[in-house]
Amino acid sequence: MPLVFSLGYTDKPLLRSEQPHDQDVDLLKAVAARDEAALGQLYDHYRLILFGVLMRILNNREEAEDVLQEVFLQVWRRAADFDENRGRPFTWLVTLARSRGIDRLRALASRERVATMAEAGANEASEAVSDAATDAIRSEQRGVVNSALSQLPEDQKRPLMLAYFDGLTQSEIALQLGAPLGTVKTRMRTGMMKLRELLSARGQYF
Amino acid sequence: MAHEDYKEMLPARALSALDAADERALDEHLSDCAECRTELADWESTAAALALSVSPVEPSARVRDRLMSAVRNERRNQEWTKSRVVGFPQARRAQWTAFGRVGAIAAAVLFLVLILWAVVLWQENRSLRHQRDQLYAQLDYVEKDSQVSKELLSILSTPGAKATPLSGSGPGAGASAQLVYNPGGRALLLANRLPPAPTGKEYQLWFIVGNNPPIPGKTFSPDEGGQGELSDDVPRQARGSGVFAITLEPVGGSSAPTSAIYLRSGL
Repeated sequence: MPLVFSLGYTDKPLLRSEQPHDQDVDLLKAVAARDEAALGQLYDHYRLILFGVLMRILNNREEAEDVLQEVFLQVWRRAADFDENRGRPFTWLVTLARSRGIDRLRALASRERVATMAEAGANEASEAVSDAATDAIRSEQRGVVNSALSQLPEDQKRPLMLAYFDGLTQSEIALQLGAPLGTVKTRMRTGMMKLRELLSARGQYF
Repeated sequence: MAHEDYKEMLPARALSALDAADERALDEHLSDCAECRTELADWESTAAALALSVSPVEPSARVRDRLMSAVRNERRNQEWTKSRVVGFPQARRAQWTAFGRVGAIAAAVLFLVLILWAVVLWQENRSLRHQRDQLYAQLDYVEKDSQVSKELLSILSTPGAKATPLSGSGPGAGASAQLVYNPGGRALLLANRLPPAPTGKEYQLWFIVGNNPPIPGKTFSPDEGGQGELSDDVPRQARGSGVFAITLEPVGGSSAPTSAIYLRSGL
């Protein structure tokens, strides 16, 4: 039986046959019960990954740090809304951060600050760090996800990245890529199906 | 559109890449289709895995400090509002039977002095408390006002943001409100002229989609002037075609409405 990794924070690999118990579920419950230390731990578990995503979306350290703080304040206020039956903490936190990041990106764009921001962002020190020391399992998951993405044809991968990190809709992507809308829809769907297939083939637990 | 057509839209929905019209149509379908809701959660996990494709980046240590400090402040403010004023210790009854006449008089004078001293302290304490409460109220007001403006600007500046008016009805006749929200569902409700919430009660926001049971939102209490505001997230299925309503519920909110509707959209 293959080893299957959980996308939540764990100390050890889990077998699929085991019912994985995600420590982050307990942390979110503790945060909902107003445990400040639990929020600190959750921040420590997720700051690197969420900040990496926000830097990728906003390309500006100051804005990304502001949104990161906003995200965890939201976690503090809304941890009770997390429902473990509807998804894992990883998905909940990443979705929340990505959504807040795209909201900020759109707000900045609508204030026509994109040019200034990109210029400032180019000078930002966004040195990537290795998270291997803090979370070896997540480091392995990165490898799996990047390997899966590298197996997607570029014309399927591009729409996924433009939607996820740039917040573009299918029509906007079609315009940007100069492709018919129907083609973009098909490529996006096919790309997502292939990505899911590749991840599950590599034993990713969702 | 058939069920299968909606299913095909789910991967794009998980990437929030659907155009507004498609999203509205799918959200309406999702409110009635448990199978699609489950499948969407699955696609959302796949989309979230994309977050692992970017390199981790270390934020500066001040973010954690600012976060924990904001959390402590928020908590302190909540505790202030909950805390009860420290009661003034009751003066103990003088025990003078063991004293002689002089002793009794001295004890009585001392007792009187203590009482007067206690009254002075009590008045001073009350005055300081009053000043403190006024300062906190001013601070809260300024902070809240600035937060509300920032939130409103942030929502309204998102392309596709919507503003829905809510009108007073029944016991809330005369009240009015606006609910603004962006395509991501982030919402702000601004209400005016609401009757004061009785002790033990708060106003609660509801999202109503078709004939389904109302989905509970968060609760709020208006100020003395009947103004209230509330930040919440509009559930996907209620965006676009949902009805928004406000009722009066026990503090903490209810899972199903228990009072008449004070405010609602679409009137």
